[in-house]
Amino acid sequence: MVFVTGPLYSGKKTFVKEWLHWDEEAMRENAVWDVQDLAVDCDDLITLAETLSKKQVVIATEIGGGIVPADAKDRASREAAGRLACLLAKEADTVIRVFCGIPTVLKGEERL
Amino acid sequence: MMTLVIGGAASGKSEFAEALVLEAGNYPRYYIATMQPFDDECRARIRRHREMRAKKQFETVECFVNLAEVTLPKKGVVLLECMSNLAANELYSPDGAGDDAVASIQRGIRRLKNQCEELIIVSNEVFSGGSCYEGDTLRYLRVLADVNRMLAKEADAVYEVVCGCPVCHKGKGRTE
Repeated sequence: MVFVTGPLYSGKKTFVKEWLHWDEEAMRENAVWDVQDLAVDCDDLITLAETLSKKQVVIATEIGGGIVPADAKDRASREAAGRLACLLAKEADTVIRVFCGIPTVLKGEERL
Repeated sequence: MMTLVIGGAASGKSEFAEALVLEAGNYPRYYIATMQPFDDECRARIRRHREMRAKKQFETVECFVNLAEVTLPKKGVVLLECMSNLAANELYSPDGAGDDAVASIQRGIRRLKNQCEELIIVSNEVFSGGSCYEGDTLRYLRVLADVNRMLAKEADAVYEVVCGCPVCHKGKGRTE
């Protein structure tokens, strides 16, 4: 599994499509994105990560890089999204971070 | 040797920093805890971190303000976590340094460096959420950013942790 992360609108899906020569249909079949939203209110992140890892590509938006939110629920969902991302990165053979459309390999032997 | 480890919320920065401490070898291990237990959420967080450190033989030293006053019994490996709390305490606590926060923290770090073999500092990346904040938050962001840059300058190695993967920004440290 390849885990792709990066800030909002940084070009994660565009990168995956171009890199793997996938069209929309191939994306829907082989990839899952916005998984940070699934972490909210999830009481078993480990199982969620395992289930998601069956896809070839898992994409999450990094949301933990702002000031800590004042609202407890916001804090908890941000925290859960971060933990899920760590679990997915652990499961993944390759981790790629896309920043301003530029991919960087954080884990694995992949050469882009 | 001083290492700065920085990352966003739940990025895996603590786990990575603790691994660095274990790699440093068989020295006495000190954990400088900066979070004041204000409420149940803080207490739960402290508990989670204490569990992560159980079995790793850390002696916990609490320091909420004035780092320069910390005196360690032996020369060992020090993990300070988290700078974002210490900076907030210095700014907002009645006995904090206030506008002198950055200089106070720098004095503390330099003194701490001389007391240990290896110093690992964890700080928080909170600068990617824009700048539309209420009240005094921008002042805090400015101070923490100044502290982070000061630490990066003083450090031999700087790592950013992204979903558990370390990205080396300074030093010839490990990359995965």
